[in-house]
Amino acid sequence: MSLKTEIAGRLSAIGLVVALSLSACATPMTNDPDARAELAAINDPWEPFNRAMFEFNRALDRVLLKPVAQAYRGVVPDFGREMVKNFLDNLRSPVILANDILQGETDRAGETGSRFLANTTVGLGGVFDVTDIEFHNEDFGQTLAVWGFGEGPYLVLPLLGPSPVRDTVGLVGDTLMDPVMWYANRTDRYAISWVRYGMRAIDTRSRNIETLDEIERGAIDFYATVRSLYRQRRADEILNGHPPQSVPMPEISWDEDEQVEENQVSAVAK
Amino acid sequence: MYARRLLPIASILALSALLFALPSTAETLSPRQFIESLGEETIGAITNADVSEEDRLTEFARLFRKGFDVDTISRFVLGRYWRRATDEQKVEYQSLFADFIVTTYANRFRQYSGEKLLVDGERPASKRDTIVSSEIKPPDGPAVRVDWRVRKTGDDHKIIDVIVEGVSMAITQRDEFASVIRRGGGGVETLIAELRNKSSADE
Repeated sequence: MSLKTEIAGRLSAIGLVVALSLSACATPMTNDPDARAELAAINDPWEPFNRAMFEFNRALDRVLLKPVAQAYRGVVPDFGREMVKNFLDNLRSPVILANDILQGETDRAGETGSRFLANTTVGLGGVFDVTDIEFHNEDFGQTLAVWGFGEGPYLVLPLLGPSPVRDTVGLVGDTLMDPVMWYANRTDRYAISWVRYGMRAIDTRSRNIETLDEIERGAIDFYATVRSLYRQRRADEILNGHPPQSVPMPEISWDEDEQVEENQVSAVAK
Repeated sequence: MYARRLLPIASILALSALLFALPSTAETLSPRQFIESLGEETIGAITNADVSEEDRLTEFARLFRKGFDVDTISRFVLGRYWRRATDEQKVEYQSLFADFIVTTYANRFRQYSGEKLLVDGERPASKRDTIVSSEIKPPDGPAVRVDWRVRKTGDDHKIIDVIVEGVSMAITQRDEFASVIRRGGGGVETLIAELRNKSSADE
């Protein structure tokens, strides 16, 4: 895949989003304010399309990714898989560093930078983690969120999974700021990108086999569960795991009386 | 002479002894201590090799109902549909939900493999609720950040939500249930039917 086709691929994903948003006018309208608020919070106007993509990804996972991930975990010893993960994490570091900086997180940028320098040199190209600095991830979707962009409608991409509009734009941004991708494309070594994305997928999947099985087993509506999990995880990642302590969780109301009051207020407001 | 003077003092002493004695009989634990002791008790119960698998599950269910306010959780996760449900639906839903959540958590705890619960703080979340923060550390691999939302009712502490790496179990459940109900046409009956299926499939 050349750079052009890669970008074209990402752009066509965005084209898809635009096409879908034109059809979004068909969203069912309701007069019940509670139901309207619920639909607005879910923000999934392309749900039928998304559910189809979700099932497609699930089928692909069942026949390909999960068996490969299981075999990978069964055959490759712990330290080997640890080295693969270290290498992949390190390879991503320039993108993480760029996003740390774009978010104004100087301390975290310092961590990413020193980690990258030490592991690339002493850690033999990143295969060993020779630092005691904890790895953290960042991406351009999170940067956009920090800059104040909303999540946009929920979207499930083929192969890539849940990726609301903001995070899809973020994926394109991350690809464009990734020196490894530029190197691979400039030198016609496209296999680098394929192997890398493949390994990332297998590595991530191999660490989540039991967890995902367990979530699927307990779920009545697996799609809705994953949508909720994805959003909450992203919200937490955007805040780097430090929710503002003084502000109560806005959408949670554990008190029945409070809830009734809230509804009355919003009814009056309308 | 002295006796008369001492009488009020004695009665104050007696009264204060009574006052101090009252809470200590029931509950003097802080939310944090509550989580710590419940955690120890639960890990003790599920690692107890002397009893059968069935007894372990029964003991887990007992501890779960002791530690979690299943009633409040069941109402929260039904969200706005709670008020729409008839009394009969509420009763059946709550009983099905209790089994459902115990099974879900029992399956999760079945995977227990030597993780340690390290409680590292608490902060108020609302008038009645406290968030107890902790880490669950597996023997190998990175620690998982887990917050426990603990509600005080009278002298009792009960967990009403578990938040794992920023993901609230209650909110996830509520979002899922809302989707099931909406896709089923807006009636609580759809969800009750699904929960019935789930509980017969688990047996």
